[in-house]
Amino acid sequence: MPKIILTVRLLMVLLAVPALGQLMGLRAPSTVSAGSSFSITTTGSGPATFYLLGPSHVVKQTIQLGQDLPISGSDVGASGSYQAVACDSVGCTSTAFYVLPSSPARLSFLVHPSRVPVSAGNAINATALVYDRFDNTVLAPTPVKFQFSSSGAAPYTRSLATARGIAWLQLGSSSKQGPLQVVASVGETAEPRVIQQVASEACGLRMQAASSSRSVRLQTDPIRDCSGNPVPDGTVVSFTKIDDAGRSTVDTPIKKGVARAQFAVSGRARISVACGVVLGNEISIGGEP
Amino acid sequence: MTRTLHLGGCLGVLLLAWATLIWRSDSPGGSVHAASLPKVTLNAESIGPRPIEQRTGETVTRNYAQAWQDLAESLDRNRTDLLNDYFTGKARDRLTQRISDQRKTGLRTRYVDHGHRVRALFYSPDGGEMQLVDQAQIEVQGFDGQKTIYTTNSTQKYLVLMTPGADRWYVRSLETVPDDATP
Repeated sequence: MPKIILTVRLLMVLLAVPALGQLMGLRAPSTVSAGSSFSITTTGSGPATFYLLGPSHVVKQTIQLGQDLPISGSDVGASGSYQAVACDSVGCTSTAFYVLPSSPARLSFLVHPSRVPVSAGNAINATALVYDRFDNTVLAPTPVKFQFSSSGAAPYTRSLATARGIAWLQLGSSSKQGPLQVVASVGETAEPRVIQQVASEACGLRMQAASSSRSVRLQTDPIRDCSGNPVPDGTVVSFTKIDDAGRSTVDTPIKKGVARAQFAVSGRARISVACGVVLGNEISIGGEP
Repeated sequence: MTRTLHLGGCLGVLLLAWATLIWRSDSPGGSVHAASLPKVTLNAESIGPRPIEQRTGETVTRNYAQAWQDLAESLDRNRTDLLNDYFTGKARDRLTQRISDQRKTGLRTRYVDHGHRVRALFYSPDGGEMQLVDQAQIEVQGFDGQKTIYTTNSTQKYLVLMTPGADRWYVRSLETVPDDATP
């Protein structure tokens, strides 16, 4: 009797071995490059429903188990974690794999600010974010070349490697006003940006006065910053007169490099000039200078 | 706000600086929905080149938690409109496409969120971008109709880019990355 039972059990095991070979299963590579076609190996037999679930895409299709399942590169454009799932009438099985970013192909380049005073240290921030052609952040360190060029100065280049897809730098503006072009490039991809370097605060602000019997005409010397750049037209210059009648101020924009104003005066007066935070000379009218 | 203070004889200024380095989404500064928000802890000890301001840290933490709450609900209910409040750019586009595909195929995904340990690593000098790495403990269940087709429960690493808007921080990029892909 025990022999019969043993024989039956053995027979059952032997019958089950081929069935075990038919168990439904999925095998995918652990990592795939974004946009690359590949295959998922399936085991088992018969029809099943296959699902591919990624960060931005879902595929659902009927498959025959036991065959290799081709996955199109267009189904794995977004990098990240994917789940491949197969379900038949008995149940479901799944496997996970990563889609990794492909090679660098795109740059997002941010430069701040768009206008900057000359000779300002670390005033310009440039940040480059490196992506592949599917807009995935390129995780591998990637050299980004920053080229700087402005009129009257020799161009120069700095190269930085990205960390987690980002390369950034700070730099100071030059002493000459005018456009500063910054080009960030990765391989064949380049993104240019232009920063306007404008004159800084006025430097050595001075005015001259021409008095008549009842008024005084004031005119500044050409207004420049400390690097010799003309302060832009439109910048407001304030002339302030203090006399027996009290204080009065005239705000006037720079035109063609100079600012002008006229005051009515009676008796002694003191007139001062200022541009932004910079004070110029002071003139006394009707008395000792 | 929960503050992590290292009291070992540091100067007051140093204490204040350390105090601003860790925030939690269930802090008093959270929204009215804070009770149902996923737990997010933001650690900014390694951030650079710009230091993070206290209010910015609180806002980023709360907004990131709100983004995950919206993400979970939108994937479960296949509603793309729920993505508009805290997602923008590529992150919103990708999730919108995923939800659109789920709707077409009759699928939905349920996220059971067990919390996020977030490290802020990059904050641009002009304050325009912040990069985070999130160790998220999330249980994911996929459904085809009423049938569960897969379940995973693991720690997943996300590389996140957030950018400021008028009154909040938006998730601009949310990418799962292998464990060894970032420090």
